[in-house]
Amino acid sequence: MHPFVHLHVASSYSMRYGTASPSALAAAAEERGMPALALTDRDGLYGAYKHAHACAAAGLKPVLGADLRVAPVDGLGMRDSRITVLAVGKTGWASLCRLVSANAAQDMRAPIAAGPGLVVLLGPDSDVGQAVAARRADLAAAALYRWHDVAEVVVEITDNRGSGDTARARRMLALARETRTAAVLTNAVRYLDPADSPVAQVLDAARRNMPLGAPGLPPHNGRAHLAGTAEMAAVATAIAGEADAAVLLRDTLELAQRCYLDPAADLGIGTRHLPHMSGDLRASCEQGLRGYRGDLPRARERLGHELAIIMATSLAPYFLTVADVTRRIRSNGIRCSIRGSGAGSLVNHLLGISVIDPLAHGLLMERFLSSTRETMPDIDLDVESARRIEAYRIILSAFGEASCATVVMMETYRARSAIRDVGAAFGLPPGEIGAIAKAFPHIRAAHIGSALTELPELRDSRLSMPQLTAMFRIAERLDGLPRHAAMHPCGVLLSDATLLDRTPVTRSADDLPLSQIDKDDAETAGVIKLDVLGVRMQSAIAHALTQIPGRIDLDSIPLDDEPTFELIRSARTIGCFQIESPGQRELVTRVAPRNLADLIAEISLFRPGPVNSDMITPFVQVRRGEQEASYPHEDLREALAETGGVVIFHEQVLRIIDTMTGCGLAEADRVRRRIDESARWFAEQAAARGYDEAVVDRVWQVLIAFGAFGFCKAHAAAFAIPVYQSAWLKRHHPAAFYAGVLAHDPGMYPKRVILQDARLAGVRVLGPDVNASATSWIRTACVSRPALRVPVSEIRGITDAEAARIVDGQPYRSVRDFWERARVARPVAERLALVGAFDSLHERSCPRPTRRDLVARIGVLDRPVQRQALTLDLDLDGDGFGFDELVPAGELRDLDPAERVGAELDILGFDISQHVLGFYDDLLRDLGVVRSASLRDCPPGSTVLVAGVKVAMQTPAVRSGQRIVFATLDDAVGLTDLAFFESVQDRCAATLFGSWLLVVRGRVRKAAPGAATVNATDCWDLRELDVIRARDGMAAVLAAMTRDPATGPASRARTAGAQKPALVYPTGFAHSRFAETGAPGAPLKSPPREQWTLSQPGRLAGLRGIGTNRCQGDHHGTSPQLR
Amino acid sequence: MNHAYGEPVDVQSREDGRPTRFVWRGRLYTVLAIVEHWVINREWWQQPEDEPRLPELVFWRVEASAGQGMVIGVYELRREMATNTWTLRRATD
Repeated sequence: MHPFVHLHVASSYSMRYGTASPSALAAAAEERGMPALALTDRDGLYGAYKHAHACAAAGLKPVLGADLRVAPVDGLGMRDSRITVLAVGKTGWASLCRLVSANAAQDMRAPIAAGPGLVVLLGPDSDVGQAVAARRADLAAAALYRWHDVAEVVVEITDNRGSGDTARARRMLALARETRTAAVLTNAVRYLDPADSPVAQVLDAARRNMPLGAPGLPPHNGRAHLAGTAEMAAVATAIAGEADAAVLLRDTLELAQRCYLDPAADLGIGTRHLPHMSGDLRASCEQGLRGYRGDLPRARERLGHELAIIMATSLAPYFLTVADVTRRIRSNGIRCSIRGSGAGSLVNHLLGISVIDPLAHGLLMERFLSSTRETMPDIDLDVESARRIEAYRIILSAFGEASCATVVMMETYRARSAIRDVGAAFGLPPGEIGAIAKAFPHIRAAHIGSALTELPELRDSRLSMPQLTAMFRIAERLDGLPRHAAMHPCGVLLSDATLLDRTPVTRSADDLPLSQIDKDDAETAGVIKLDVLGVRMQSAIAHALTQIPGRIDLDSIPLDDEPTFELIRSARTIGCFQIESPGQRELVTRVAPRNLADLIAEISLFRPGPVNSDMITPFVQVRRGEQEASYPHEDLREALAETGGVVIFHEQVLRIIDTMTGCGLAEADRVRRRIDESARWFAEQAAARGYDEAVVDRVWQVLIAFGAFGFCKAHAAAFAIPVYQSAWLKRHHPAAFYAGVLAHDPGMYPKRVILQDARLAGVRVLGPDVNASATSWIRTACVSRPALRVPVSEIRGITDAEAARIVDGQPYRSVRDFWERARVARPVAERLALVGAFDSLHERSCPRPTRRDLVARIGVLDRPVQRQALTLDLDLDGDGFGFDELVPAGELRDLDPAERVGAELDILGFDISQHVLGFYDDLLRDLGVVRSASLRDCPPGSTVLVAGVKVAMQTPAVRSGQRIVFATLDDAVGLTDLAFFESVQDRCAATLFGSWLLVVRGRVRKAAPGAATVNATDCWDLRELDVIRARDGMAAVLAAMTRDPATGPASRARTAGAQKPALVYPTGFAHSRFAETGAPGAPLKSPPREQWTLSQPGRLAGLRGIGTNRCQGDHHGTSPQLR
Repeated sequence: MNHAYGEPVDVQSREDGRPTRFVWRGRLYTVLAIVEHWVINREWWQQPEDEPRLPELVFWRVEASAGQGMVIGVYELRREMATNTWTLRRATD
């Protein structure tokens, strides 16, 4: 029997169509004893390099192709059809890449002329196949002959055992015979095993946006699987009879063999294809030495050492390319800095890529690149986020589209997206699907089931109903499947001029060229992948610099400014890069950085491992002089002195290994990457150097324990620069700093926290004003104090064009003048009125119009009838509009403080006139709530009540594998950080996750001098308590806050033997499966609208009642009824 | 005459699934030829189940007779893979 090779196979890279990864397919083919496997994904080659890699690993020959959509041919009147195109040899692969590119460019219509080296398979989905299905043999033959004119074609026989499939297959075979066309057998594979077909079925429903079972969806069975040779032989026999089946199978194998690809010769794998750069690396570095400010002889020696490595690895073009890119970006005025281990290379410093002098910080080239390193190094560049696309275009125009494209990133299904698509396929109502999806944290789809049983906030919901079980089970199976190919947010590929022969290139939404190579494939494909990351803090810094009079060259400021470090040490770091989170603020008061080196250590230590193991305590104690530094051996003093004997950096590991074994830093880096396998080697080498066994053992223990926790010092050093710069700006130019941070929102806290921090620093916040605001945050002055002006762009719903028009047309004389010239939408104008943006126009008016009056006037201005009257009216004054209907000022009641704040929160997302919590001052005082600034005076272990607006929530990975929920509250005086451990999550989860204003009881935990946090034991919704107080008084509030644990909503019994669902790393580090894998705290950036506007019954008169409807409220101060 | 049924039957089949004989209403039929064969998934999403089971329904339309000299009819047999039960769906004789 001939071995069978599948020639038509869709992997998961046929998005929302295929279900199996290329590696799974290759492994399965190998198990079934097949010699080769094709990958022919739909409309793209995203899986090609992975397929080649997987086949090599499985000992299979790879075949590559694509399943492409083709436009209907004029006159035949059929719908879109599909063909499968296979590549023959190196020429065919290049033709295939270009064909896929062209197909995408023409909106997925394959040009009839295919390039050289391609074979076209015409199967059931082709125009030929469709004609055969419709029993139009004449049309089928005509189409087939037309194909013969433009390409080498083969008839593809497929029988997936749907109704009528076998008969159609027989007719296709007959047609092939009649037209003397070769025929091959395939199985149009979409999944590995028949049991996987439900996943494919659900994907079809999701992709076509129809519920399962809808008439428009094709029927499914389990036959489109990776069938074995015997089964395919049976299929062939059932179609053709034994004799002809043998011919069919033989022809299939022969075609496959023609299409076998050699990874090296045909796909260029294993060779580098780097851009050709003119210029000499050595000369450029010598140039850089002229400006070098450190120890010149040492630098020369180091330069010689690094250049030798670079020449040995043939990577000079790589460095020249990156230097070129950096120079071009900066010459356009865009801030650009290096990220990662590349900061350890002196060459990078001399070329101007990095501002860090590696010699000044003991950084190592070998951690970045050495002669033993097999893969290309990684240089990443941070640029201003707002100008990232501009940076890409600069690179593209410099290198050209034959050599440069962006990296593709696959968005894959995770829990929420899987639930959405599967829920829709199951026909659930959209509102319900949305609610169910949002109930889950940002976890992987594979963990849906465990989340349902183990997370308290899901366990108590109704999500365990049987109807939903099938849905959840299928949603889990979508785990990791690609949904959508997007432009990777940071990656750019740089190559010689053959890029388009190695990957198709399509256009992204921003009209940038988008390759089909992802970040893992770049190495395989032999091209440079350069990450150009948009960092919001860089944009924030750039904006801040524009707000400082005079030019400051931030990259030249001294790096030892004591006031800056004093600011950092006192944890006044809200808004600063990287060090504003609760955990960072706590750590920074313990480590107490005095200089850049300390800051580098701080950054390296702030990770779950070091934080929760015992690395920080000895480090801090040695620094404070409370303890002597101790070294595992005196020879290691030089490497470890800077950190008091504690191993923190990868570079220290390299030095330790080199010192103990003499193997050299390059080999040491290799050992570091494989530390688990190197125990014996280390012991032998160290013994040979004369170290005794006890010492060797002790040092090895240190190296192993350090395993998961070390950090690359070069990386930390690169990071430390923007950290320092942001803190310097905050200390010396606070208003400008806040303007930058507010404009670009780089941090984890909502804008209202930044504004509050600004106020506490003495910077005033001025509300939006149509005559004074800009389109972004600006620093201004108010009564000779620094101030910030809220921009018009913060108004909810305003467009960029509207904001620009408002600013361009300043100044305005009246509301009418504004309405006529700024031409914003009515709702936007109304919102401007409600937040007081027109107040400055009426300062001298008498009587002064209230904000509600102004909204009413806008309503009048908006009426079409009035526009005619307007053109006749010559009165251009503010008052006396000349309207038929005059809205006298002062008739409508003005907004009371609660309404003002409500409007601000609703329209701007932050409270300006008053802190939201201020409305509850009485309640908080009566409860005895402790404000954040006073917590540090509370004895550790004491029980306190705290309160505030929830501004951040995180569930980071913690060493023990426990899930701890961290929350931060803003109480107008500062921030309080809370920790909710697993034992209290049951009773707190619903309130904690569902409420915006909280009261929390807990015990003070003294973590460091000056920064206290609270371990929560209970929490309540502040609004609800306020409602109880208004209705029934304080006694009722206190009663409500006393809980009987036995009547709690959730079962509190946790069986002692219940296994914690932790992921355990080889080093013993256990990580809760539900630790959020996404960005922390993001959903809290805006106050939940429904939670505020309805929260003040009795005070809020319903802002919907404003405008053309007069407010029905009582003008004498008693509370109007809530509508 | 074409009748639709839906009655359970006992079926003997080959290793590749092809039915060879079946018992219906007390009579033993021998399968003489396969007219058509197709497979579809049942509506697995309608039935919440504890354990996911194979969703396929396998259909065989066969020519069969109850014995030599007996009339040859066309019978449609359906096999539910999840429960491995056979049903006679149609008969034409």
